[in-house]
Amino acid sequence: MVEPYLSPLHNLHVKNNAKFIEFAGWNMPFSYSGTLKEHALVRNDVGYFDVSHMGRLKINNVSIDILNSLICSDIKNIENGKALYSIFTDNNGCALDDVIFWKFNNYILLICNAVNLNKISNHLKSQNVEFQDITKETALIAVQGPNALKILDNLITIPESFSCLADEIFTYARTGYTGEDGLEVMVDIKNLEKITNFLDSYEIQPCGLGSRDTLRLEASLPLYGFELSEDITPVEASLKWTLSNKEPYLGSESINRQLHTGDHKVLKKFTIDSRNIARSGTKVMAGGISGIVTSGNYSPILSKAIGFALFDSDPDTDLLEFEIRGNLVEGKVIKKRFLS
Amino acid sequence: MTEKKYLETHEWYLLSENIITIGISDYAQGELGDIVFVTLPEVGQEFFKGDSMVEVEATKTVAEAYAPMDCVITEVNTSLDSEPETINTDPCGEGWMVKAEVKALDDSGMLYQEYESFIS
Repeated sequence: MVEPYLSPLHNLHVKNNAKFIEFAGWNMPFSYSGTLKEHALVRNDVGYFDVSHMGRLKINNVSIDILNSLICSDIKNIENGKALYSIFTDNNGCALDDVIFWKFNNYILLICNAVNLNKISNHLKSQNVEFQDITKETALIAVQGPNALKILDNLITIPESFSCLADEIFTYARTGYTGEDGLEVMVDIKNLEKITNFLDSYEIQPCGLGSRDTLRLEASLPLYGFELSEDITPVEASLKWTLSNKEPYLGSESINRQLHTGDHKVLKKFTIDSRNIARSGTKVMAGGISGIVTSGNYSPILSKAIGFALFDSDPDTDLLEFEIRGNLVEGKVIKKRFLS
Repeated sequence: MTEKKYLETHEWYLLSENIITIGISDYAQGELGDIVFVTLPEVGQEFFKGDSMVEVEATKTVAEAYAPMDCVITEVNTSLDSEPETINTDPCGEGWMVKAEVKALDDSGMLYQEYESFIS
């Protein structure tokens, strides 16, 4: 059996009485004070997440043309100092991973899902992209919540939304995965205490992967392995807005065909009013169109169950029928975001 | 009044004359995470030992509580409808789920000491 990796913050998590979960080969905190408390903390105040398990690759600028041919968004024509969400596609236009880029003057930082680090590394190598894997040399901490920026302002210069900055110690961007404002801060392991001491001095509370998942779901954000996989394209995953790449890229023909014909699977958001949660894998019907729940959990803000479901084609009704442990449970499609 | 006994499926029951009170253990609530919905049975509903009586939805997962013996529901803890989190905060007290009249006594649950070694 392979021992899971431990975050550079592991001892701190132990000190903070974290409950751990094995995730993508890493032993990471699932919760501390409880998922709902941590969820409320991030929605109403501020909390921090250790996301050091996520892959971090430093890509040489000389490879930007190749990189641009592997993703569905335009990394070439965004300014230096900007952050970009995009998707690595395969030959069929399906998602190899969804990632964030921080574009600096002399390099591009790629942040990928932990579960896909090897896949993306091998993919980049096979395409002769020059990069360096700095995952194990660094830590990545997301500080999120309505009070995040005014506290972080005492540590670093706050960038514009979806922008990135670096100083001698911290490399960071104003992105996030919770629906709240905040920064994701990367630091060399040798400077780790500079951020952990800061978080401690402002008594910012740690939050685990449990609340990260309920927050991202409530913020209508997809998670690789659930909404996204090698069987689904950005078009099918309701991520058409990421298709800013005007040049040909891997799988772009398939994606353009889907855009043209409209003949593809469709990801929908749903709510359920009864006391049931339709979890990942639950079968659902919308009229005659069948689907499967990709993620489902409780929304603390809406006080009801919410989730994403992938349908074989676009349903012509908003009324859904879930099959939950042998019972039929009604739900409905939601067109807007869960959080207004 | 006897002591609380525990099942391998992490329910506890407390037998008092012919009535049992049933809930889930502190260990079970900890494993489930934050409980958000509880679906309770109806008064008068009859269960056989091992039947699913209560459905507990938590942020981490869903679980069922099973009947420790054949019984008929006499009372349900309706406060759990609006405050399911009571099961997290006081699983063996205010977080009880149902009371039931015993139809076939089966007092084979574990005492706490034995349950404690079972879960560790």
